[in-house]
Amino acid sequence: MPIRVRLDRLLVQRRMSLTELADRVGVTIANLSILKTGKARAIRFSTLASLCRELECQPGDLVVWEPGPPGEPEDDGLEG
Amino acid sequence: MRALGPGSVSSFLKVILDVVRWVLFVSAGAGGLGILAVLLLSFNPDLLGGAVDIGGVHLEGAWLGPLLAGTLLVWVLYMAGAIVIVGRLRRIFQTLIAGDPFHPDNVRRLRVIGAALAVLELGRYLTAATLHLVSRALHLERLHVGGEINLTTWFAVLVIVVLAEVFREGARLRGEAELTI
Repeated sequence: MPIRVRLDRLLVQRRMSLTELADRVGVTIANLSILKTGKARAIRFSTLASLCRELECQPGDLVVWEPGPPGEPEDDGLEG
Repeated sequence: MRALGPGSVSSFLKVILDVVRWVLFVSAGAGGLGILAVLLLSFNPDLLGGAVDIGGVHLEGAWLGPLLAGTLLVWVLYMAGAIVIVGRLRRIFQTLIAGDPFHPDNVRRLRVIGAALAVLELGRYLTAATLHLVSRALHLERLHVGGEINLTTWFAVLVIVVLAEVFREGARLRGEAELTI
């Protein structure tokens, strides 16, 4: 998926640990790790708002669109 | 009464399936031992009493042992198919008890159940056709063959296939929800 999450860069810039952010936002570290490693499929507006509040940034600073290699699907889809 | 979770209808049904599974195992085991015994005794047909009456059909002679062994083999194969179905059902019920009906593995389990049902039904036709040929060859006119097409079974197979697709979609949505932060 060509959507990239820049959480790691923002954490470094804000000198904040993942644990601290998880405490402040009220999201588990496991879920934040999923978000950080780009494995997340979707993000709730409420989570996005909390992250932006704590990281003092705009949604566009956190989530960016980068064109992937030709032929890469926009949505990978999850097979059961 | 709740449908999911511990102490629910699902856990009650799983207990029943556990019992049924053991009964099936015992039946299959008894059938296997029966095949062994019949094959051993067929070397000396007199030990089998020389003749057997099954469903009003009188069997005797050199074909007695192989016929009985074949009948028992069909029984064991049928039990094996039933064990496959009940085993998969048990695992599905385990996920229901755990409150997770859309576990991704349930899709494969439902497909296996559907396929096993279809194979059992086709096996029934094959058995009936074989019995028909044997009864003609041995002039056993009173032998009931019973190879009628059972529409209920085929509808059940169709329903299970559709259900498997529903579960596949459910599992996909579950995966999406799990990865939604």
